[in-house]
Amino acid sequence: MIKRNITLAVTGLNNTDNPGPGVPFIRGVKESEEFEVRVIGLVYENLEPGIYMEGLCDRIFQIPYPSAGSDELIERIEYIHQQEKIDVLIPNFDAELFSFMKNEERLLKLGIHTFLPTLNQYKEREKNRLPEFGKKYGIRVPSSLNLGSLGQITEMEEKFDYPVMVKGQFYDAYLSGNNEQVKTAFLKISGKWGFPVIAQEFISGTEVNVVALGDGKGNTVAAVPMRKQYITDKGKAWGGITLADEKMMELTRSLIRQTKWKGGMELELIKTKASEYYLIEINPRIPAWVYLAVGAGQNIPEALVKLALGMEVTPMQQYKIGKMFVRYSYDMIVDLEKFAAISMNKEI
Amino acid sequence: MKILKEVKISDNGFVFNSKTGDSFSLNPIGLELIKMISEEKEMEEIRQEFLSKYDVDDLTFEKDFYEFCTLLKHHQITVQNNSLEFN
Repeated sequence: MIKRNITLAVTGLNNTDNPGPGVPFIRGVKESEEFEVRVIGLVYENLEPGIYMEGLCDRIFQIPYPSAGSDELIERIEYIHQQEKIDVLIPNFDAELFSFMKNEERLLKLGIHTFLPTLNQYKEREKNRLPEFGKKYGIRVPSSLNLGSLGQITEMEEKFDYPVMVKGQFYDAYLSGNNEQVKTAFLKISGKWGFPVIAQEFISGTEVNVVALGDGKGNTVAAVPMRKQYITDKGKAWGGITLADEKMMELTRSLIRQTKWKGGMELELIKTKASEYYLIEINPRIPAWVYLAVGAGQNIPEALVKLALGMEVTPMQQYKIGKMFVRYSYDMIVDLEKFAAISMNKEI
Repeated sequence: MKILKEVKISDNGFVFNSKTGDSFSLNPIGLELIKMISEEKEMEEIRQEFLSKYDVDDLTFEKDFYEFCTLLKHHQITVQNNSLEFN
């Protein structure tokens, strides 16, 4: 079979203890039997490990943080496009998605394809709107309260018993067992991610996740459920296993069908002792553990690229149950030249 | 008592529940017991086999058997209508 040559730009090369999905995404696409891929790594920091991994990216470009403004980010992408002619762009951070969604048309006019959720889909699943989301789509969600000031902690205490989960809009979550811990978490999170800070009822149970892909028409193109087996102190999966859980699959299909979800997503669920599922978060992008899905038989990165290019994708129904991933850390020895090049020239 | 169809039992005593992702190790006696339960043998039949094969009295067998069954239920290895019902 003749492979189609494409140039793919990917963010999220930060394979740290809080890893982005860029590296596993690239790994998945490189295993495609349909694409011969040239990879452009887009990085925010000059120490993102993906920059230094041999054989991963063909070029690296530093891009400005979304907080610098959408225009600055998109202008930088346009500059990179002039050099590399990007076919598909896959953003992998929650915080950058908004800028790329807003500029989807502008990018497409240049020939850069994306496959992102709509602004409405993105907004209605935001953490501070989760109770409304649960009500609308008939899914159990924990009660929550949006905190704009420390003064609201009393209101929160009237609503929930301790412990509570205190969460940031995009990232970070702290389990807080008393008033003081809530205050500390509130200040930490609001300083980093802004307002509101979300206080969520704590649901006791096992955390399970689903990585899924929706075609934007209500069809589930791929879905693989997983249970975290080893969790870091940041709550990240360092090991996981695929599950045979039809309830989770049905919940995922129902959600994608109702929302007509477009693009990758990760459902974070708590399964209680009574086998009830509570949706605690929807991440509007694929997660860092996506390579488990590839290993279990569903190449979600490849399917996402195909959807972005407007190609037909047959929904994937099967996956191997009991497949595991075990993450590891690895010290690369790197020459100063590469670090100097990305630091000074903003590209390699 | 019925073992869930999602539960896989290896000959070396490794038990994997693909519905929950839990895994367990059983000693040879535990493995023998769970295999008999998965073959849907009645307790009386299991008792007879154990009493004739091992040096164990009736009371000890019964105590250990029920303890083992409670463990299986607790770890959601058996079919349960109500997962909170442990007895």
